[in-house]
Amino acid sequence: MINFLQNNIFYISAFGLILIGLFIMLSKRNLIKVIIGLSILETGVNLFIVTLGFLSKGTAPIFSKSGLDMQKMVDPVPQALVLTAIVIGLAVLALALSLAIRLYNHFGTLNLQKIKEQKW
Amino acid sequence: MNEIIDLNPVVLIAVPLALAFLVPLLELVSKKIVKWIPVIGFLFNSVIALSLLPKVLKETIIVKIGGFSPPFCINLVVGPVGILLSVLISVTGFLVAIYALKYIKEGAQQKYHILYMLLLTGATGVVLTGDIFNLFVFFEILCISSYALVAYLGNKAGIESSVKYLIQGSIGSSFLLIGIGLLYGQFGTLNMADIANQIETVSSISLYVPMIFMITGLGIEAAIFPLNAWLPDAHSSAPSSISAVLSGIAIEVGLYAVIRVLFTIFGVSDFLMFFLFLGVLTLLIGEMCAFSQENIKRMLAYSSIGQIGLIVFAFSLASSHGVSGGLFQMINHTLSKALLFLASGFMIYKTGSMKISSFEGIGRKMPLTCLLFTIGTFSLVGLPPFVGFASKFMIIRAALAQGQTLYTILIGLVLLGTVIEGAYFFRIIQRMYFKNNSEVHQKEESPVAGLIPMIIFASLIIFIGLYPEFVTKILDPAASELINKIDYIRSVLG
Repeated sequence: MINFLQNNIFYISAFGLILIGLFIMLSKRNLIKVIIGLSILETGVNLFIVTLGFLSKGTAPIFSKSGLDMQKMVDPVPQALVLTAIVIGLAVLALALSLAIRLYNHFGTLNLQKIKEQKW
Repeated sequence: MNEIIDLNPVVLIAVPLALAFLVPLLELVSKKIVKWIPVIGFLFNSVIALSLLPKVLKETIIVKIGGFSPPFCINLVVGPVGILLSVLISVTGFLVAIYALKYIKEGAQQKYHILYMLLLTGATGVVLTGDIFNLFVFFEILCISSYALVAYLGNKAGIESSVKYLIQGSIGSSFLLIGIGLLYGQFGTLNMADIANQIETVSSISLYVPMIFMITGLGIEAAIFPLNAWLPDAHSSAPSSISAVLSGIAIEVGLYAVIRVLFTIFGVSDFLMFFLFLGVLTLLIGEMCAFSQENIKRMLAYSSIGQIGLIVFAFSLASSHGVSGGLFQMINHTLSKALLFLASGFMIYKTGSMKISSFEGIGRKMPLTCLLFTIGTFSLVGLPPFVGFASKFMIIRAALAQGQTLYTILIGLVLLGTVIEGAYFFRIIQRMYFKNNSEVHQKEESPVAGLIPMIIFASLIIFIGLYPEFVTKILDPAASELINKIDYIRSVLG
């Protein structure tokens, strides 16, 4: 059990962040807290993807001098995916915060349970 | 025509993207020219897509970006499904852009046109790509543009709907990314054909987790039953031209992504039985909720949910006729729902309210618009000379061909949904034409730039309804591309 924890600590923490982010998004009433939860969720997903390429005692995947062994390098493809995903997450966060400002201007409150104009 | 225009299919994605970024520069030159850019861009796209169509039917075009060969490169797979949906997206985009010339008159208009072109670029990218991370990137372009466009009018309803849509949509995108990560960790490649090739080497239990994550993530945009809580608010609060594009293109492209992941990557399996029930459930819930609505755009939005349920039902039959019927119903839904939203846009503008009770007698005031609305209604319900009849008939025949009593019961429920749909649509038509209020009517028709796209949509509906052979020629290769994934893998990997 401790061995499992020790070997997979990065996966467990990434999934932990994902679950924390989901919990915040589902249970908090203030819109800013929900947006923070969204940010934590996306951080967790990005960490999960980077961990997929991780080798313990691996080096950076750059051929900086000749004779570097490719088998000891960390996988670069997940790092490229995560760069794109971080930028997409940034754009969504910016849009969400500007919508939160407009929502506050219209309704005077950020409490999601009080913003219920659209009903059945 | 084939020899004159011989362009690489990547221009279908690159040209609208480049024009979208060109708009702020042109805005400095003249503000009036900006609204013509989407028109020109999507006219170009439609012409290129239509000219690629005969070539693609002979042989799938694979575009290798960057000069490497698959599975090491990002490739575009322009097969029959891809080109069919690209033609649909480009033609709908072109017609709604003409409508927006006269409909979008206030607000930050330049940003509307930039976001509109980015939305359709994302949609075309999702449909043509052959790589799952590329699917995620274009899917995000589509989703983020639609979050911003729903909030375009800036009123209370729009901002509230956009916030709800954004929160649910970004949970979906994160789930999709988790699923992609799990698939990459399992197989080591991101190419759809390569994963499809290796999928049998893994036990099917460990494939359920990525499949569930990806289908949940994509299903939020595709508006399948438990995941569609955002749809009624978003489609009713957006401006009408955006509602037309969201209902007609965005949710169908989301559903295409679900189908591509399910059929090509994971292979046809017994998960489809669950999908069958989900489709019928979505259909019944959508139609029943639509029946009790007073706001016309909300009613049309619930009707979109119902139609997506019908398309999911058609795809879950997993036979060649079922999949062809599903694709045909996608075409029907895009053309009819876009026509309905465009017509109701001007009707709402003239009467000033979205309630159905204020539409009494409007048939005498705007006769041509109401006639086009009626054509859209009849086609969506499935009456004979229109497209809806051919597509629904194909779905019902495919379901009956399965032969078991379960399918007959499900067909009964689907037809019950169609009856409910007919009831609430005919109620509107009755109110439009046959109730009089006593004021004197002078004819105040919609502007010409608004009428032209509606007339073209209606004539496409009637033309394809009378001569469906033009479309079934493309549907059969498209259905076999989805069902026989061996051909897909062979054409990409060689």
